[in-house]
Amino acid sequence: MKARHMMAALVASAIALTACGAPSVPGQVAPSASISSPAVKSGSLTILTKFAAPEYAPYFEAVVKSYMAENPEVTIDLQQVGDQPYKDKIRVLSASKQLPDIYFSWAGDFANKFVRAGLAADLSAEIAPSTSWGSTFAPAALEAFTTGGKQYGVPINLDAKYLVYSKAALAKAGITAPAATLEDLLADCGKLKSAGYTPIAFGNQYGWPAIHYMTQLNAFNVPADTLAKDYNPASGEFTDPGYIKALEQFKQLLTACFNNGANGMSHEVAQANLTSGKAAMQYVELVEFGNFTAEKAPQAFADDWSFFRLPMATGSAGSPNALTGAPDGFMVNAGSENASVAVDFLKYMTNQTNAEKITKDIGWLSPVKGSATEANAFPQLIEALADVSKAESFAIWLDTVAHADVASAYLSGVEGIVSGSKTPEDVMASVKQAAAKAKKSVS
Amino acid sequence: MRRKLRYLGGWWWMTPALVLVGVFVYYPVLQNFQLSLYSWNAFSRAPRYVGMDNYATMVADEVFWRALWNNVIYAVVSLIFQVFFALVLAAILEEFVHRRLAGFLRALYFIPTVISITVSGILFSFIYNPEFGLLNKLLQAIGLGGLTRAWLGEEGTAMGSIIAMSQWQSFGYTAVLFIVAIQRIPRDLYESARIDGAGRVRTFVSITLPLVREMTTLLVIITVSGAFLVFNEVMVMTAGGPARSTHVLGTWLYFNAFMADDMGYASAIASFIFVITLALAIGQLAYGNRKRVEW
Repeated sequence: MKARHMMAALVASAIALTACGAPSVPGQVAPSASISSPAVKSGSLTILTKFAAPEYAPYFEAVVKSYMAENPEVTIDLQQVGDQPYKDKIRVLSASKQLPDIYFSWAGDFANKFVRAGLAADLSAEIAPSTSWGSTFAPAALEAFTTGGKQYGVPINLDAKYLVYSKAALAKAGITAPAATLEDLLADCGKLKSAGYTPIAFGNQYGWPAIHYMTQLNAFNVPADTLAKDYNPASGEFTDPGYIKALEQFKQLLTACFNNGANGMSHEVAQANLTSGKAAMQYVELVEFGNFTAEKAPQAFADDWSFFRLPMATGSAGSPNALTGAPDGFMVNAGSENASVAVDFLKYMTNQTNAEKITKDIGWLSPVKGSATEANAFPQLIEALADVSKAESFAIWLDTVAHADVASAYLSGVEGIVSGSKTPEDVMASVKQAAAKAKKSVS
Repeated sequence: MRRKLRYLGGWWWMTPALVLVGVFVYYPVLQNFQLSLYSWNAFSRAPRYVGMDNYATMVADEVFWRALWNNVIYAVVSLIFQVFFALVLAAILEEFVHRRLAGFLRALYFIPTVISITVSGILFSFIYNPEFGLLNKLLQAIGLGGLTRAWLGEEGTAMGSIIAMSQWQSFGYTAVLFIVAIQRIPRDLYESARIDGAGRVRTFVSITLPLVREMTTLLVIITVSGAFLVFNEVMVMTAGGPARSTHVLGTWLYFNAFMADDMGYASAIASFIFVITLALAIGQLAYGNRKRVEW
């Protein structure tokens, strides 16, 4: 009886509350921030990054510390959290209007969400390619944070995806040069299997490793204009036949090259199979190259590895010279009271000294030109930098460039292909459905 | 007059607790229901009123039903293991096993409970690993190599594998609670049953079972509502994959709120979870009011 009373009261008050009008979620913050160089550097800054991992965090701490030492009037509160917690935290902060002055962002729609909500300061006046600061960056890196012709982010690293291979394994299978076409790669996989290797180690426990393959295969199979139109949530349709082709090529790789049970294995465990000599190749990010140096990998592997781009199938309709990858970046809160100091800090973080330091300390390539030298980088890193600068454009990670609904349809769909429960057609049907929903939500 | 003052005074004493409960429990529940009527996310400039749209989406959402089904399976399996088998185990430990050994076994069964869920999730990810996992190795060793698979990587086995881990972890805890309940039963009841010629199974059915009824009820409610609130186990081991097959209501809510940026829909799912758990709580209240067994 009591319970019934309680229910009635609950329902009644719920109805009363709903009548009260819209819930209080963020209104637009007036983009009032002035970003030109501050006359006096003083005040406090808050910074939120997703680099809490012990191999990355010390770099950011060190830069903050040295900036504060040079500018004693400025106090910086640096907060670093992990990758997944960052996704939660930044949403909670932006919903409660407590966005830090400087915050991390992936390139693509993740950054555009902040732009659409008016939460990102327009930095064009300071960092457009024609400005003195902007001219120090690799243009493709700046391009990744450009929306509607305006610059909203400061790229802090360069990342790209490569097939890393063990030279010994390829030699043992009688392969003299890395594959130049997808067809060659599939044939090489057969040879590697006969030589007793897992051709390509693949751990897809959380779905994103497969998405990185799809990013590259979509760029190879779908013309760039169509791809850009479809990745834009306002106009995405995904009707090009290239999308199905890309998924079919992924399926070919799955049968010919990958280990079984990839959905049940993490990317890191798969990587251990590569470095321990069980597998011959793995598709990895540039930021992971540090894992293959003598400090972290077995000596036999560290002495004997190289890398190449995932090759394109002959006769594909997309961009042969697009490279999967994107810089990560920092954005400045449009409502920040200290935006000019925030921009000054970012300039400091990307000056030549600190750009070289990021390569030396954590093995990342900086988007700042000329920051990787023999003094601070290992040979493969310098080689990669040369290759990245040859790429015409970045194919930004599918799971950050596209709307979250589309990304998640891809993510679960490709997992289904890996486990054998879905066909490429099934996947595209749900991607189209998600694109329609995304279109509705941004219109 | 004085009595009236005293009466009011009582209310004064209760006010802090009422305010706290109101602000931190009832208000969020109501606000959540209100939010479920809007389409909004953390970045949206203005929430848009959509009425019952989010609930309509929910009804048509395959993953939602899959998640609910997973919760139901979770609840059923948990009832079988954490209530039924735990009770049988408790009775065996109390009745059949030598005292000293029973103490050792109790500790042994209880240990998994104190391991953090993240740690045991990762531990089991290794056990289920398709290449070097213990489970596949064990199957091969006993000639069942045909059964080996990527336990967490296939839609057909992933949810079962997670549920199995959870049983391993929680089973010892409920068994210990049952042991406590059994120890409270006066020994003379067992003695008189024995004099009357009852066997051990008969004693279990006629004496142990009815006299631990209160504990059984409590554990049924805890286990079932726990099964509807499960989150960590899934998050650590599969994050809802592969192909969304292991989502439960909690992870599907989280996914929609923080990954897909659809807070309104997530609120609708939250309201649904609230209704389920409220119904269970009401069941508990109703049952709790029944007459206790006296001895």
